[in-house]
Amino acid sequence: MALLQNITVPLLAVNDNILTVVEISFKQGDLVKKGDTVMVFETSKTTYPVEAEVEGYIQYYCKEGNDYEVNHKVACIYSEKNEGAQPSPLVNANPAANKIATTESQINSAVIWDGDTVFSKAALSLMQNGGIEQSVFTGKDFVTATDVNEKMGIASNAMKKNNFVPETKLSKNKIAPIPGAATEVAKKLTSSKKREIEYLSDVQSAGLTSTINIQVEVEGIFERLNNSMQYLKNSLLPIIIYETARLLQANKLLNSFYSEEGIVEYKEVNIGFAVDIDKGLKVLKIPLTNQKSIHQIESDIILLSEKYLDDKLQLDDLTGISFTITDLSAEGVAFFRPLINSMNGAILGISAIDEKLQRCILTITFDHRVTEGKTVAVFLRELKDRIESYKTDDYNKANKINCFKCYATLSEDLGGVGFISCVQPNGKEGYICQRCLKGF
Amino acid sequence: MDSDKQVITHKHIKKAIQIRRVEEKFLELFSLGKLNGTVHTCVGQEFSAIAFAGQLKKKDFIFSNHRCHGHYMAFTGDVRGLIAELLGKASGTCGGIGSSQHLCKDNFFSNGIQGGIVPVAAGYALANKLKNNGAVGIVFIGDGTLGEGALYETMNILSKWKIPMLIVCENNFYAQSTPQHVNLSGDILARAAAFNITTYRGNTWDPESLIQAAGEAIENVRTQSEPAFFLVETYRLNAHSKGDDDRDVEEVASFLEKDYLNKFKLQSPVYYDIYQSGIQSEIDSIVEEVLKEEDLHINSYYKKIENDVNKEWIPLETINKRQVELINNFFKEKISKRDDCVFLGEDVLSPYGGAFKVAKDLSFIRAERVFSTPISEAAITGIANGLALNGFKPFAEIMFGDFMTLALDQIVNHASKFYHMYNKKVSCPVVIRTPMGGRRGYGPTHSQTLDKFLTGIDNVKTVSLSTFFDPAIIFETVYQEKHPVLILENKTDYGKKILTTKAKNFIYERNKDKYPIVRIRPAVSAPTITIVAYGGMADYVAGCLEEIFFTTDLIPELIIPSLISEWPVDLIANAVTVTERLVIIEEGSAFAGPGSELISSIAEKVEGTVKFKRIAAYPVPIPSVKSLENIVLPGKDRIINEIKESFC
Repeated sequence: MALLQNITVPLLAVNDNILTVVEISFKQGDLVKKGDTVMVFETSKTTYPVEAEVEGYIQYYCKEGNDYEVNHKVACIYSEKNEGAQPSPLVNANPAANKIATTESQINSAVIWDGDTVFSKAALSLMQNGGIEQSVFTGKDFVTATDVNEKMGIASNAMKKNNFVPETKLSKNKIAPIPGAATEVAKKLTSSKKREIEYLSDVQSAGLTSTINIQVEVEGIFERLNNSMQYLKNSLLPIIIYETARLLQANKLLNSFYSEEGIVEYKEVNIGFAVDIDKGLKVLKIPLTNQKSIHQIESDIILLSEKYLDDKLQLDDLTGISFTITDLSAEGVAFFRPLINSMNGAILGISAIDEKLQRCILTITFDHRVTEGKTVAVFLRELKDRIESYKTDDYNKANKINCFKCYATLSEDLGGVGFISCVQPNGKEGYICQRCLKGF
Repeated sequence: MDSDKQVITHKHIKKAIQIRRVEEKFLELFSLGKLNGTVHTCVGQEFSAIAFAGQLKKKDFIFSNHRCHGHYMAFTGDVRGLIAELLGKASGTCGGIGSSQHLCKDNFFSNGIQGGIVPVAAGYALANKLKNNGAVGIVFIGDGTLGEGALYETMNILSKWKIPMLIVCENNFYAQSTPQHVNLSGDILARAAAFNITTYRGNTWDPESLIQAAGEAIENVRTQSEPAFFLVETYRLNAHSKGDDDRDVEEVASFLEKDYLNKFKLQSPVYYDIYQSGIQSEIDSIVEEVLKEEDLHINSYYKKIENDVNKEWIPLETINKRQVELINNFFKEKISKRDDCVFLGEDVLSPYGGAFKVAKDLSFIRAERVFSTPISEAAITGIANGLALNGFKPFAEIMFGDFMTLALDQIVNHASKFYHMYNKKVSCPVVIRTPMGGRRGYGPTHSQTLDKFLTGIDNVKTVSLSTFFDPAIIFETVYQEKHPVLILENKTDYGKKILTTKAKNFIYERNKDKYPIVRIRPAVSAPTITIVAYGGMADYVAGCLEEIFFTTDLIPELIIPSLISEWPVDLIANAVTVTERLVIIEEGSAFAGPGSELISSIAEKVEGTVKFKRIAAYPVPIPSVKSLENIVLPGKDRIINEIKESFC
């Protein structure tokens, strides 16, 4: 009569606290031999077979298809046939339901809640405003306003409170942090930071990402761009979003992400751009980016940023992003390596423009499981060319080409399609713009 | 007894001289600064002690008062223990803790509280009667004590229940400094006679007759198993205490002349001198020896005990029985199985079974262990104290929590203190139960929650029942306690069944403490506010949890301690470290209440920012009218509003 082997849920990856039992290889009380696979776990990335280390009789304390926390005892191998047999093996995946006695350390360790979800009044009202369904919170016992805000990507009230700093910049810099207050801020950040880590770990933790950079010559580019932009002067962001969206249409792999079932391709091109202006790092979605003009993109950027600042973002503004662009050019960074977000296959980073050399670096970090260096290099090269086409040289050239009908110059046409060469009614060769052409 | 023979012997005289010399030595030591505190001497009254205390059997008992040295020496013969006690030495009869007024040895007890000793003695005597051991006892009171109500409450019960005890009233005509005619009306013996108690009379100037009559009275109490009252006229030749004497010098002089020992000294100077010098040298050598001794070390008197909270939590289960039924079941079992279990209180006989039916059927099961008392809270509690001192486990019921004030002297000055003031020679495992709380429209004197007066009594545990688990768990623990316990029940909880409704998505559990702590916590989420409530308020607050969450957006956890005289500070401090918000909701008013105590303890323990809040009854008597009662006591709306104001 002896317990020969205890089989518990193994810790296979730091972010996998719960594994699924996908296969139970024997019947209760069966004889297993050393080296036999007795059961198979599935992590979020792979499957993991458990081998018997000894010969003996197996008793399972788990059920196929259920999830178990790491270190949960799922099976034992005994020297005698019916040892350890339980009248009713623990089959419920919910640890809380099985608990006969809990110790202090186990409190709130139950992460799975299969009961109903209850909502606070504040949460319900936020959800109504944000158009969030209750089902979004399935698996939670209580949903507070903080939870809803977190779901919407807005920093929680607690964070806002703790991050509160006096209005003027001067005092912000001069006030020495109160030790107690500093500790508190650090503690409060944990939950949002944790979410960020979780979010980024999804792709990065596999360790199969790679980064490619390219230099873009930008001399004279703003002379033209600033003319056409209503709000965003001296910024490459609108045209980069615009051009990237068009390139993504052709390069579907960069508009995809890796999942265990395979590579999932987004049908829509929804570029997200990262912002971080005192309200926490958020990625805001420009829906159907490839169908929008530069001006529409520009106004989308402005509109979303205002919503972000006013805490009026809705869940839809933050979800379904197929590709992310992060623009750190305003921070003066020479080069950085962006990290890919969850459910993305790549991310584009925009570094600051080197004023002397009049160039900036564009960087793409991509998930090697989705695509590979060659594709991304080609993509970047094409993007570079497209952006550089906005430079003054081309601009001057383009300035000389007019639509014979409306006299618009090619440089004014930012539809990206160009003018059509045509024969004018007077028999001379000329150009006509898309708008006038469609108007006909 | 042979009445032809001279009753008084030289043995009596020697004893009287010894008592007088020891007391005079005390006065001498006091004036030398070697005796701490105070001394009340019985110089002139010695023959009262000898006549009564000297004629008791070893199994008998004495309860005495502040003027107790003579009684003590006459009963125990322990001169050395007394001297060491008054000199504050560890070898003293009570280790120097009790000193002059608080002595305890071999069924001898004294206490400095006038009147309060009478019901305690009655309880002690009742215990003897229940044990049927033939023992009787004497309680010594002075004429000053005739002003105390507890005396009359007890005389009524003594007579009614035929308790074998003799009350000896030593009438020295002065209550401290006040002559008797100023304060006392009517006749002393008529008081006892009015209760149909046999009375006796004697004086210390004729010790022969006194001793004879005392013997008869004691014998009568023993054989008839009934009380008696003996009035002894006497005169205290010294001041009440030390120098506080304003009596007429001539009056004192006349009694000095009348004093039996002084007369003996004149009549038989040779004998007197022989006795006196022998006794004196014995006393002197004891004093000399004792003065070299050590005082008691604080560690053997008091050591701080850290109570660990059990950290194992078990789920709570519904019991389809009302709380009062479960309490009643506990008593039915104990009263039938345990010989030491005694139940007493007003209106507790069946079929009525007490105002709230806790005592239902108990007197049918075992009539001789259930005592329905007159309306005499001091006597009920005192008698319970006496029963507890004499080997019983008494459960006294005070019909309404508001009436606990009437029992408070017995709780604070007697039950609470016996164990320590007698230097741990005895313990008093008395239990006093009472229903607290409002919400039944009983109005100002039947609804108040007086917990603030009942939670800070040293050496007394105060326990509060709730409706979350079988109260028998608590009662079983209480049964094992060797010190006093007050059990606060709740009027509205009596009729509730155990855990019949649960707030959605909360887990109900308790730890395995002897006095379990209940915790109602969110199933998965970490709580964001810690609420502490107990008693009737606990069930009420539990019913508000869903609403609190819904309205305030704070995820509450509710901690419900059972032992409220000792908060589970570590447990609550840990909880508060997570939530950083602590609110205690009490049914009593806030000022100096248990909530203030809890918040102080937590504030001492927790570092960092915690926001605290007390939600309590308004500081006015509880109105009877429903609409106002609902406002004065913390109701759902007020609780939620105050939480919002404080934390949101």
